[in-house]
Amino acid sequence: MSRSLLSVDNLTVKFKTDEGMVTAVDAVSFELKQGEILGLVGESGSGKSVTAKSLMLLNAGNTTYGGDSKIVLHNEDRDIDVLSAKEQRDMMAIRGGAISMIFQEPMASFAPAITIGDQMVEQLLLHGSMNKREARELSIDMLNRVGISDAKARFNQYAFELSGGMRQRAMIAMALSTQPKLLIADEPTTALDVTIQAQVLDLMKDLIAEFGMAVLLITHDLGVIAQTADRVAVMYLGKIVETGSVRQIIRAPKHPYTKGLLKALPDLDDLGAPLTPVAGDIPSPLERPAGCVFHTRCPEIIAGRCNTIIPEITDLGDGHSVSCLAAEPSMVTSA
Amino acid sequence: MLQFSRFVAVRFIMAIITLLMVSFIVFSLMELVPANCAERYLAFKNTQGEQVSVADIRAEEIRMGLDKPYVTRWVNWVSDVFVRGDFGTSCILRVRVNDLLGTKFWISLGICMASLLLAYTIAIPVGIYSATTNKPGLNNVLRFVSYLGLAMPNFLLALMIMLASTILFGDSLTGLFSKEYRDVPWSFDRLMNFLSHAWLPVFILGWSATAFALQTVRALMSDEYNKLYVTAARARGLSGRQLLWRYPARHALGPIINSLGFDLNRIFNELPIIALILTLTEAGALLLESLARSNDQQLAGAIIFMLTASIIGLNFFTDIMLAVLDPRVRRGILGNA
Repeated sequence: MSRSLLSVDNLTVKFKTDEGMVTAVDAVSFELKQGEILGLVGESGSGKSVTAKSLMLLNAGNTTYGGDSKIVLHNEDRDIDVLSAKEQRDMMAIRGGAISMIFQEPMASFAPAITIGDQMVEQLLLHGSMNKREARELSIDMLNRVGISDAKARFNQYAFELSGGMRQRAMIAMALSTQPKLLIADEPTTALDVTIQAQVLDLMKDLIAEFGMAVLLITHDLGVIAQTADRVAVMYLGKIVETGSVRQIIRAPKHPYTKGLLKALPDLDDLGAPLTPVAGDIPSPLERPAGCVFHTRCPEIIAGRCNTIIPEITDLGDGHSVSCLAAEPSMVTSA
Repeated sequence: MLQFSRFVAVRFIMAIITLLMVSFIVFSLMELVPANCAERYLAFKNTQGEQVSVADIRAEEIRMGLDKPYVTRWVNWVSDVFVRGDFGTSCILRVRVNDLLGTKFWISLGICMASLLLAYTIAIPVGIYSATTNKPGLNNVLRFVSYLGLAMPNFLLALMIMLASTILFGDSLTGLFSKEYRDVPWSFDRLMNFLSHAWLPVFILGWSATAFALQTVRALMSDEYNKLYVTAARARGLSGRQLLWRYPARHALGPIINSLGFDLNRIFNELPIIALILTLTEAGALLLESLARSNDQQLAGAIIFMLTASIIGLNFFTDIMLAVLDPRVRRGILGNA
């Protein structure tokens, strides 16, 4: 359980655009253990999806990775240096072999004119030593296991013939059919109705336990994280600002941004309480603030420090860490 | 399968209905031309020095059945066309339109189809390549050539080629046959002679069609290429040609097929001008002649009808292709089965 599966070290991702270089991910490091569910939380534009896509080298052609960035996948027999993967078998391992990904929009992630079954079989033939008949049987079996009724008929259908929840189930079935070590789920329930969301989340939890794989769960919804994840990393403007166990993050958040996110959740016990959104908008990635990236919206800003000094990552013990000048224990004593 | 044949049958019937409507419009246009066939013919006789009276005109009208009601005459015309493929007799020349057009129509249709084929044979691979590679230099060159093809009128290109060829080789490259093959029956040598001339109109008509098709293919392809399902397929380990052809290219093909009918229409429009410049004695030039010079509405009507029928035929074909390729279209027409 405790062996490391994936290490991301100092990941920096930049995009070359007409307006100049845009930093989408800035020196992000995290570790994912086997069988662990890590939630990656943040607003749109915080770099969650870009981070996830980097793990499978799926970012667009105008992407450059930092020179000292390193992503290592500790695969069964050997370690794979993802960012410099060239060999076919390494590429196959990070794409569909050891890592699978499911996306936010299940409708758009299936090819519209190819049956669901054909897409599933194609992937299995690509990765395994199966023949067509075996691949077909396994695919139908997987569709059954994700709770799709009449799986044999669905196998021959197209994505547009299925309902939204059904499509995401099929996507999960397809992602798990190659038995990956790591499942990346990029906002897997965001496009679904709330009732369907709960069903799909439950299904994912069951399957994750059954298959024993690690999951990187990307979402902006702390509720989803609280239900599903073991650990949480909170991202803001390309940086991880706080990491900890779900308990630590929800019960004792240290970063003002994490606190803000939690306050922005509606409280079902106190319906009269006004919602308090995190003030302001996420700045343009073209104009990243100097100092702490969050200082432009921070309610706990220390004038003269937060806008000049980039906070270090401080270890608070028990796997809880934060990058914030206001939350550093040393600050409290020296001030 | 049964459903599919039913769909083909329905489309076929719809195509026939469209054709009938077109025939009505064409027939009405023929009627709207001032003076009817009898008057026109006798007026023509008059210029040849014959004395013609009003009584002669009336007699001729009755002989040609022009005194019958409008709808009756349309039904007669259209049933002759549909049942026997007979377009009647030319007003002025007094020969059967079918003899007059002869193989000319098929030659011009062949030239148009060849241009269309040329355009897409070039545009599909080049468009796909340019949409999926990140080479600004290559893309700029393609864009330039493409805009040149779109902006430069075909007749100008034709004149430039003729001028260059006359200066360099002393041959203006006009006509579809050399003199000795012009009015002889078809033979292998005549066919080769035809092909050695036909490449030029095919090239000129195909030039702007290619430019157009290239833009279409490129736009559709880069659209598809950036869609999530392509990223998702890549995330499953697909790469290279397998990814390209099965995913974005396959899905861009539908709209590309859809644009075929439109392109054929454009080529038809350009054909008469090119035919005039290159002095091709085929249907396009004959249409201009029959309308502008001799005002022969029977002949003009037949040509317009046949051109339209070709476009309807092609659209019928592309509809079927589309349904074969795209399950959404198929399901849309056939319902859930």
